[in-house]
Amino acid sequence: MRKLLLLSSLFVCLVTTAQKNKYQALLLDKHLTNNANAVVRLDEMKINVSASNKMTYTVRQIITVLKKEGDRFAVKRVGYDKEHKIKAINLYIYNQLGGEVDHIKKKDFKDVSAVDGFSLYTDNRLLYHRYTPTSYPYTIDFEYSVESSDTGFFPPWNFLSGYKASVEKSHYSIAYANEVLKPEIKEFNLDRIEITKSDVPGKITYEAENIEAIKSESLGPAFREIVPRLKVRLKKFNLKGEEANVSDWKEMGVWMNNALLKGQDVLEPATIAKVKGLVAGVKDPLEKAKIIYKYVQDNTRYVSVQVGIGGWKPISAIDVDRVKYGDCKGLSNYTYALLKAVDVHSYYTVIHAGATKVDFDEDFAALQGNHAILAIPYNDQYYWIDCTSQVHPFGFVGDFTDDRNALVVKPEGGEIIHTVAYVNEQNHQLTKVNYALEATGGISGNVRVVTRGIQYDDHFALEKDVNDDVIKHYKSYWSNINNLKIDKYNFKNDRDKVVFTEEVGLSASNYASISGNRILFIINAFNNNNFVPNRYRNRKLPFKIARGYLDEDEFVVQLPDGYKIEAIPKAMEVASEFGSYKVSFEVNEAENSILYKRNLLVKKGLYPKEKYAAYRDFRKTVARADDLQVVLVKK
Amino acid sequence: MSRFKYVLPVAVFFLCYSVTAQDYKFGKVSKEELLEKVYAQDSAAAAAVLYRKRNIRYNYVQGSGFQVITEVHERVKIYTKEGFRYATVSERLYKNNRANETIAGLKAFTYTMENGDVEKQKMGKSAIFSTSLNKYRNEEKFTLPNLKEGSVIEYEYRIVSPFAYNIDEIVLQYDIPIKKQEISIATPEYFMFKPNMKGYLGMQPKYTTNSGKINFSSKTRSTVGQVSQTTFKQNEIDYTTNVTSYNMDNVPALKEEPFVNDIDNYRSAVKYELQYVQFPQSIREGYTTSWEKVIEKIYDNSSFGTQLKIHNYYKDDLELIKAKTSSKVELVAAIFSHVQRRMTWNSIYGYFVDKGVKEAYKEKSGNIADINLMLTSMLQQAGLEAYPVLVSTRSHGIPLFPTREGFNYVIASVQLDGNTILLDATNKFSEPNLLPTRALNWYGKLIKKDGTFTTLNLIPEKPSRNSFNMSVSLNEDGSLEGKMRKTYGDYNAYLHRNKYSSINEDEYLEKLENKNDGMEISDYTVKNKNALGKPISESYAFSMENQASTIGDKIYFSPLFHLAMEKNPFKLEKRNYPIDFTYPWQERNVILISLPEGYETTSLPEGVNLVMADGMGGFRYQISLKGKILQVLVDFKINRAIISPEYYQDLKEFFKKAIEKQTEKVVLSKISSDGTSQSAAGGR
Repeated sequence: MRKLLLLSSLFVCLVTTAQKNKYQALLLDKHLTNNANAVVRLDEMKINVSASNKMTYTVRQIITVLKKEGDRFAVKRVGYDKEHKIKAINLYIYNQLGGEVDHIKKKDFKDVSAVDGFSLYTDNRLLYHRYTPTSYPYTIDFEYSVESSDTGFFPPWNFLSGYKASVEKSHYSIAYANEVLKPEIKEFNLDRIEITKSDVPGKITYEAENIEAIKSESLGPAFREIVPRLKVRLKKFNLKGEEANVSDWKEMGVWMNNALLKGQDVLEPATIAKVKGLVAGVKDPLEKAKIIYKYVQDNTRYVSVQVGIGGWKPISAIDVDRVKYGDCKGLSNYTYALLKAVDVHSYYTVIHAGATKVDFDEDFAALQGNHAILAIPYNDQYYWIDCTSQVHPFGFVGDFTDDRNALVVKPEGGEIIHTVAYVNEQNHQLTKVNYALEATGGISGNVRVVTRGIQYDDHFALEKDVNDDVIKHYKSYWSNINNLKIDKYNFKNDRDKVVFTEEVGLSASNYASISGNRILFIINAFNNNNFVPNRYRNRKLPFKIARGYLDEDEFVVQLPDGYKIEAIPKAMEVASEFGSYKVSFEVNEAENSILYKRNLLVKKGLYPKEKYAAYRDFRKTVARADDLQVVLVKK
Repeated sequence: MSRFKYVLPVAVFFLCYSVTAQDYKFGKVSKEELLEKVYAQDSAAAAAVLYRKRNIRYNYVQGSGFQVITEVHERVKIYTKEGFRYATVSERLYKNNRANETIAGLKAFTYTMENGDVEKQKMGKSAIFSTSLNKYRNEEKFTLPNLKEGSVIEYEYRIVSPFAYNIDEIVLQYDIPIKKQEISIATPEYFMFKPNMKGYLGMQPKYTTNSGKINFSSKTRSTVGQVSQTTFKQNEIDYTTNVTSYNMDNVPALKEEPFVNDIDNYRSAVKYELQYVQFPQSIREGYTTSWEKVIEKIYDNSSFGTQLKIHNYYKDDLELIKAKTSSKVELVAAIFSHVQRRMTWNSIYGYFVDKGVKEAYKEKSGNIADINLMLTSMLQQAGLEAYPVLVSTRSHGIPLFPTREGFNYVIASVQLDGNTILLDATNKFSEPNLLPTRALNWYGKLIKKDGTFTTLNLIPEKPSRNSFNMSVSLNEDGSLEGKMRKTYGDYNAYLHRNKYSSINEDEYLEKLENKNDGMEISDYTVKNKNALGKPISESYAFSMENQASTIGDKIYFSPLFHLAMEKNPFKLEKRNYPIDFTYPWQERNVILISLPEGYETTSLPEGVNLVMADGMGGFRYQISLKGKILQVLVDFKINRAIISPEYYQDLKEFFKKAIEKQTEKVVLSKISSDGTSQSAAGGR
């Protein structure tokens, strides 16, 4: 016994000296420090699945932070809840030479509620620690292990932890007790790095070494689209006590229906009678759906409460009906139940919401998504409604859930369906202006802005704003006009056609600059687009235009008496694969006015980095042309 | 006097009217309140508090002593969907190892009009959520059911606090208007509190007294023969309660404005500061009564004064420093720099030490007091006249009244040749007499060794100067190339260093280029990047496209090019709160432009010299042609760190004129082929 002990402590010694090298920060590979605020010396996760409702994962991260901007990689947090128990957690801090500076034990971590910023309540909690560095570089060694009865959300793997952090060694392994528990893995972007993979009975391992840091660049794709990563799922899994055995989306849908949705759609007879009354005499299912959606919008509000399985299971329709609030799941399920009560079919839909589009993988049925909406089938097409919004028109979801694959839960099984897309010309803005220029340099006039598609989404909230905020909005929307005064405004929101119209009466003193006998002014006062993306000495990433848009402008400019046009720009037209731009200036001598016409189309697309400079040139041309000036001189 | 007579009946009439119109008893929500479409005094309000009651009183519990009970009752009208968020209410409750605050008696109802009838819905238990936020705070939240535009919600609850020595700050102004509020604070004579009011609202508290009783029973057990008997005896102590009430009508909403460092500084509120506690037959336990007492109390605390007296831990280091310096000035600088380099601030505020100076010195990190008390101590130990200075940071508000909570920060000071030098070693780029911007808040209190104090102005008076020299040649195609030299002084250097010190040069240049319209930079050099006390000086060559417009045979350009300020930061018509620039500043641009061949000037902007009211700001613009070189000098300055809102219109107008001048154009014309033109004669 004694011998054995000695041997094992010797072994420990050996390991520690070998590991010590990881803690010093003097000798780091140039490739790894290049562009990096931190170097992840070791990133390791070892998962052990012993049953469909039992797994542990042990994580070890050794990170050398090179400078202040890398401190975020040393802020460590681990979430826990009823199903996820933190078994061990330790954090060591080392100085540049590898000397231990601090040791943070479990009791030293701060224990806080995992406030997510939008929930009224959540039962998730966090242990976290933020170290105050006294010098750079420094190294942290962070270890923890979690035991979980949830296997539905299987920890995925990113071979990089974020922008500007390189990785010296990355290790991910899953040991599983039997073939039924063997995880399925889907690989993304692994071509950028060299991977060692092993798949032997009972264990899958991925390793990679020396992965250089990447830098974020404007208009670049989302991090998840470029980072080498793995997505993992178990066929047989457990979610907050609910067992599942799912091999594809169809089965996932069946499971969700049975485990999460079934029976939640019951309503009080009084409520059923009430909504039947609302649609009395209406035959068309789509018309009925519009009435029900309006009723939900007028009578409920969004309140997020996440408790236990409630993170996935909607609260019952009866409960929502009683309090008239709920989260995305609760409100979607409630609306589903109301629609059902008036014989309109709809489907509960799980989706990944956000302005950045994230698709569900068609061929990989793993739990995902952060939002629920409804899909209403009608005449071979789907209408999508977001029941958490009290303002969006029926069937219009804006940039929150547009143009992406989502899981539509049908009783016969799940189905991946792409939501409605708003692209290019559909995102339309028409600006029509009549404005007069005065000899003193001031301008005054009336502006009409008509928006559709995503541009509607950007504008229609104005309708609900109070006066102060409307004025603030215009002062920043037309920030190119100093001394702007809004005299009056009026909005029309056509929710049926999804068109928003703003009529604004305004004036501004000293808009034009006067030099001697001349008046100079930028004729495009009301849609001046000076966006030019940042220049990169060495662009590394492709770039993305997520939706595209079309702006059309027509301004009639009344010139002051006693002046004549000395110089006026020439019409021009540019076309590129990213879009097109057209501008013209027509003088009406009789009226002493100028008709200015402009047309800018920017096209949705993912473009290779080689074309970035060309896109920048296109935007520079537009920016320059939008600043073209007219010169008047005293007669 | 006669005027008063005239006014009085009207006021009485209004008072009567409002009393008969509303019933503020819990549950007596009226149809009128439900039918109201908009808040009369502020039509922009998404919601308004129709009635708010907050009664704070003391309750004696036998065995555990006094508790503070806060009774809350609020009736809130929701006008629009944007106002729904006011139907979620949260209370933060304090706790420590021994005791915690709790909420009791929570009742909440939503009232809605349904087809002409008032419908009332009770909030269920499932709408109440308790969260433990961290070691010291719990949070109690609830949200009301069945909301609609037009709903009125009403709730009441009690907060029971075992911390009798503390009454939380009472906010008197919300982000939405309050129609009527009745606040009262009743404290037993044993606890002497002093109210400190802040904000822009006029408050007229009423003072009255009540009497209270403490009932406690004592038990005596006596045995007479075989019979045991217990007698209960009721004891009573009478005491006086001091009651302050604040009854306010039509309290306006507090609204955000730009250039305000923290809007909460202007929120009206009252804070009850404990001055002393004196129970019958006990000696008075003093807390705060005056600045003297507050400061004495802080100074005497072992986490403050005592910390100045520990010196063993730095003895050797200090000897080394002393050996290397030959004058007092050098000594101050060397000690400051030693502490600044050695120590890193752990982002924790406070005038009391966190770890203690000794431990902090060893670990090389600490809170504000750890670092600056250590600094003060070292200066004192080196034979200098050094003192700590108590400060309230910008985000902590202005300490108008003597309170311990009025401060949250401490810095060091040293007397040199009759001058006071302020020192703060918690930022890597601060300097003697250049405090981190967070500490630039009004006045500080300098504490002498005997515990007496003097008041010091912390706001810098010397403008921080930027000086830009640009020498460029303008080409016919509108492009520009030339050289730039920029120097950043004082706070400009401080901020620059804090922002850019840890990024590499390439990245910095990329940022600089993109900030300046895609300018292309070469031959970049920088001096004094990290040499504290000296201005940063950077120079580079650059080129830019599209800096002038060529229209016909004329070229138009603004002679400040990208250095011109183009947008007025002051856009709003009105302003209620002071404009806070943090520190006075000056920007001086000297620009030499060599004009393209074959062109001459047709028109030049006129020079101006603007001076803002009371010398608060100045703008000077001069332009002249010397041969083929256009010389421009622009000097723009704001001489005060804080400008009061009465000057807002002046300031806005001043910026407007300064911006117009900066964007005004120079016009050049092509010299005709025979080499002459009408306007050329004057130039030759």
